[in-house]
Amino acid sequence: MLEHLKNLCELNGASGNEHMVRDYILDEIKGKCSCHVDNLGNIIAFKKGQKASEKKLMIAAHMDEVGLIITSVKSDGALTISAVGGIDASVLIGRQVLVGENNINGVIGAKAVHNLTAEEKKKAVSIDKLYVDIGATDKSEAEKYVSLGDYVHFCPDYEDFGNGKIVSKALDDRVGCAIMLDLINRDFEYDIYFAFTVQEELGLRGAKTAAFAIEPDFSIVLETTTAADIPDVAGEKRVCELGKGAVVSFMDRSTMYDKELYKIAFEIAEENKIPCQTKTMIAGGNDSGAIHVSGKGVRTIAISAPCRYLHSPSCVVQKSDLEACEILTEKLIVRIFNI
Amino acid sequence: MDIKEILFKLADISGVSGNEDRASELAMEYLKKYSSDVKIKNRNVIANIGERSNDKPHVLLDAHIDQIGMICTYITDDGFIKVGNVGGLDRRLLMAQRVIIHGKRDITGIIVSTPPHLVSSDEKKASKVPEIEDICIDTGYTKAELEEIVSLGDSITFATECKELIGGRVTGKSLDDRCGVVAILCALEQLQGEELPCSLSVVFSAQEEVGERGAKIAAYEINPDIAIAVDVSFAYTADDIEYKCGKMGEGAMIGISPSLSRIISEKLIETAKMYNIPYQIEVMSGLTSTNADQFSVTRCGVKACTVSIPLKYMHTPVEVMQISDIENTARLIAEFIRRCS
Repeated sequence: MLEHLKNLCELNGASGNEHMVRDYILDEIKGKCSCHVDNLGNIIAFKKGQKASEKKLMIAAHMDEVGLIITSVKSDGALTISAVGGIDASVLIGRQVLVGENNINGVIGAKAVHNLTAEEKKKAVSIDKLYVDIGATDKSEAEKYVSLGDYVHFCPDYEDFGNGKIVSKALDDRVGCAIMLDLINRDFEYDIYFAFTVQEELGLRGAKTAAFAIEPDFSIVLETTTAADIPDVAGEKRVCELGKGAVVSFMDRSTMYDKELYKIAFEIAEENKIPCQTKTMIAGGNDSGAIHVSGKGVRTIAISAPCRYLHSPSCVVQKSDLEACEILTEKLIVRIFNI
Repeated sequence: MDIKEILFKLADISGVSGNEDRASELAMEYLKKYSSDVKIKNRNVIANIGERSNDKPHVLLDAHIDQIGMICTYITDDGFIKVGNVGGLDRRLLMAQRVIIHGKRDITGIIVSTPPHLVSSDEKKASKVPEIEDICIDTGYTKAELEEIVSLGDSITFATECKELIGGRVTGKSLDDRCGVVAILCALEQLQGEELPCSLSVVFSAQEEVGERGAKIAAYEINPDIAIAVDVSFAYTADDIEYKCGKMGEGAMIGISPSLSRIISEKLIETAKMYNIPYQIEVMSGLTSTNADQFSVTRCGVKACTVSIPLKYMHTPVEVMQISDIENTARLIAEFIRRCS
């Protein structure tokens, strides 16, 4: 799983531009299941089990990551940008980025601190004040290398971090994709659908069409979720913590999760001594939001890895939590068919 | 001499003010090609070239070797590092920034950023920037693990490495002032083996970013007649004030200021004109915020001037400059030295 995760995090795939991630996954699952790519770009994969079940189960994770898109080229060669998905400007300023299909180097600079007014120094920047500099000194030079609508991605720089942790961009949600690639290699008793979705960061858009096509009865969404286990944050505001295992939440901003599945997940965790925690704040959302209200309704649960600094170029997860998510998912799949 | 290669090596190695050792030692290795008298003294790298005598001037060529960064001040119970800034740091760009902590070994750190759910809507409106005392760094280690690797006082740098942009431009974190170091090395390469009308000392000075301290003691020791601070200055970007900036790609910025020697400024301009070397004039109305401020008032006074390489996004992890500006600065320095009698 970690090898897949590293490979997946090295790829660029902002929402609507998931093709590199999709090609990697298609290549990995070739021959292991039957699959097709729908009109939006979701991968719908069907893994035959030993027998068919009346219950249809869909496991889902999204392939896209947050990024930027080029909206105009200014006369001095600067590229104006707009966020693709939720990115705070404070994690964009002062970074190296990759621009366009050819991944040319660019930076998001900032006026020298010496020339900022006292007021400017204290005020966080907004994205409309930022621009990407590829080294061009005028518009025509820039236009040789970029076109409007080109994507801008954070530089991939996956590395082992601290004791048993990983830092990288795009862990949200290549973590889910990597776990699914592992699960596809396992043998399960019953048939399972795997959906690798697009455009989650734009509003759960791929999941909507994937769930419509599959019409599942049950769904497990594999995700990452905000951990705020950082200094000066106490109690419920920590939401969830690295090292405390898989996160199963009862409710977030997009979904009231299926109560029975929630209960079963914690039972399985306890029986098998799998570290598992819930979220202590109602925050965030994921593909479950689109899936659980699809068709006549889908009983849905999300299993997430706690992740610090979500939607930044440096997200942090702990390897033991990823393992917990994978084992819990595997056991939950078996149980769902016996509900 | 492959300017870009040497620049990338020098700019990627760490040398926060007061902890310049790695950068200084690498710069000293490069200097040895041009001088048999090279040493590190009181943190400054100093090289002497040519026989000093009373009938010719002694010229000090300086670039500072240190860079801005942070310093570890405290380790919290949950294993996060609190920091102080070393030099002028833009706090707006610190969130989730990847850094390297130079402990017993180098380890990666992430500057903690506040997740959006913890920011109240009032705060969002104010969009506050954290104070330096609010900054802490995640290393992924516990306090006990961290204390094996990191000691208080260890330095911290941004993790970005130099990269090439289009059109002969480059980006990196401490081009300020490693590009000045490279410009001087490149000038020495051009002068190598020549009989010069002056004697030379080269200083790659420490602690410029915390108040030009290395330059102060180096100039006292060397006691030059003329001193040139080769540093960086602001290259224009659309969000800045045009008349206060130079232009990237248009050559070295020759300083003119009441605090500098007008004789040297004019001699530099004359040299540039004579040899068709692109240059720009940077007029300042008082101090220059470079080592030249120290040089001019050393001992009984020194004729000092600035030669600055235009740089965008100064003091950020993504400074941007043009390689040809280093080449042109080196040519200007070399021709100036050849005419310095």
